[in-house]
Amino acid sequence: MTALTCRFIKLADSLLRRAPVTVSRAGAALQSRAPIIQGIRTHRTNTWWDEHLTEDNPWPRHEWVEGSRRVGLVAVKLGMMPVWTKSGERQVVTMLQVQDCHVVKHLSKEEYDGHTAALIVGGKNVSPFHRPEGYLEVFRNAGVPPKQKLTTFCVSDNAIIKPGTPLYAAHFRPGQYVDVTAKTIGKGFQGVMKRWGFKGQPASHGQTKTHRRPGSLGPGGDPAKVFKGKKMPGRMGNIYDTTHGLKVWRVNTKYNILYVNGSVPGHRNCLVKVRDSILPTRLENNKNPPFPTFFADGDEEIPEDLYDQDMFQFGEPMSFI
Amino acid sequence: MFLVHTLLCQRSNMAACTRRTRQMLGLLRILRNFPQNERLLSTSVLRHNVASDGPPKFTPPSKPVIIDKTQKEASLRRFLSPEFIPPRQRTNTVKFSVERKDMIQRRKVLNIPEFYAGSIVAVTMTDPHVNGSLNRFVGICIQRSGKGLGATFKLRNVVDGQGVEICYELYSPRMRKIEVLKLEKRLDDNLMYLRDALPEYSTFDFDMQPVHYEITGDVPVNPLKVKMRPKPWSKRWERPKFNIKGIRFDLCLTPEMMEHAQKWAEPWRPYDMLKEYDTSSLEEQIFKEVQENLRK
Repeated sequence: MTALTCRFIKLADSLLRRAPVTVSRAGAALQSRAPIIQGIRTHRTNTWWDEHLTEDNPWPRHEWVEGSRRVGLVAVKLGMMPVWTKSGERQVVTMLQVQDCHVVKHLSKEEYDGHTAALIVGGKNVSPFHRPEGYLEVFRNAGVPPKQKLTTFCVSDNAIIKPGTPLYAAHFRPGQYVDVTAKTIGKGFQGVMKRWGFKGQPASHGQTKTHRRPGSLGPGGDPAKVFKGKKMPGRMGNIYDTTHGLKVWRVNTKYNILYVNGSVPGHRNCLVKVRDSILPTRLENNKNPPFPTFFADGDEEIPEDLYDQDMFQFGEPMSFI
Repeated sequence: MFLVHTLLCQRSNMAACTRRTRQMLGLLRILRNFPQNERLLSTSVLRHNVASDGPPKFTPPSKPVIIDKTQKEASLRRFLSPEFIPPRQRTNTVKFSVERKDMIQRRKVLNIPEFYAGSIVAVTMTDPHVNGSLNRFVGICIQRSGKGLGATFKLRNVVDGQGVEICYELYSPRMRKIEVLKLEKRLDDNLMYLRDALPEYSTFDFDMQPVHYEITGDVPVNPLKVKMRPKPWSKRWERPKFNIKGIRFDLCLTPEMMEHAQKWAEPWRPYDMLKEYDTSSLEEQIFKEVQENLRK
């Protein structure tokens, strides 16, 4: 990450000084645009429309094929609410709002790790002030306001999207299963009972000053040491954690809100990373999604609220059961 | 009518805190000025199909429905269900507005009437295990809790000598009918102490007939003070944190015990500014929004 920022800063400096830049091969690969910087600020004239008209469109839209991986979204965790199925059972859902989610950068297979291409996605606009220049450069190249969170999604080659495309909540449809990653709530320095779920010791019956301690640290004289990774008290929380296989119950396209089953790591108003589930038992539910993403300028007209088949909609008359 | 109009104009300009006195004065003035034209009768006639064969059945004459048209909408009691008021949290307001839309949608299908802790309510729900059958339960509402779609209320009754409390979700799709048999308030918001009171205070007949209540004016407050069973109770109701006014403490506790309970008093609580939550402006906004959307 620091290497990338150094390169960005060098380019930015050269632009400011108006000196010719020796762009290395790696540097050329970083720029997704054709024009080479030669000491003059180039004014970009080609828009997405021009690119579409050219024969070799660098961002073609393919159809979904089994085994292809598409992008995910960055959303804000709003809160939780109950949801009822048509048979009257109660479930809880978390509401995730997709606020200003844009594709910010495309990294080809060679740039990323040699195996898969990657797309960097940003969510939730923030102020451009008090931020490092290198960070803002990425967004300037994409033509997108600076974002609070940037995540990388590994993506198959047929699912690449042009940087600058907005992503909406309709990217996911009800009935799909998603994985949600976020930073868990920080609990600070915690003892062994809360952090690892140890049982502790009894409250009475002669226990002297020992009620929440870890007890023994391992076997005796043979190893004569404590093994690495022994569960001990320490800082708990504030780490990235993923919840897998969460069903999407409802999608509100007006406010871009996803209603996702169960609970999700993180506090209220935190940014989460949502992507299609990788669980092998849920692959069947994720077939034929909007591929590579849901485009708002397309012909597809979707209603304001998309509900799952099993979900009880509140405007329905009470004629079920 | 001009007099009434000016009176109403005056009423609307006065401060909100004197709303109650204002309403009373306004009503008194109206009643004094218009003793004869107080009521406009309108009859609703129901005609039954008379059977052609056999002796004619006695059809009782239709009862007149009295609609009081001199009382404008402004004098109707403004009630906003407590689950609409969002809690004091750092949550995005979009979440509350989207949830409110769902609640309003549900209210268009199912009528959720106004009721408080202390009112007697009859609830009809569909049975989850037997298709098509309905379960009816009557009880006194002892608590209304929860915000948003997960709002609940607890009904208590004593059936065959066994105290039964059922917690119902207001917006559950299994809810068929909520009818208020007797609308009244008690001296407290939370009547959990009825568990430790004598059972006669929690028994209500299942076949109780609905008692007529006014849609204008204030909700009647029942100043009943309940007699308790001997201690120990499930909670120490005499302690000031519960702030209970509806128990006859003089019959079950000595003055020394009452003084001892005051040790747990927290006299700084009413002055704690961080716990202040003024919902008046929010309530008005939400009330307007809810009324508008329910009418659509």
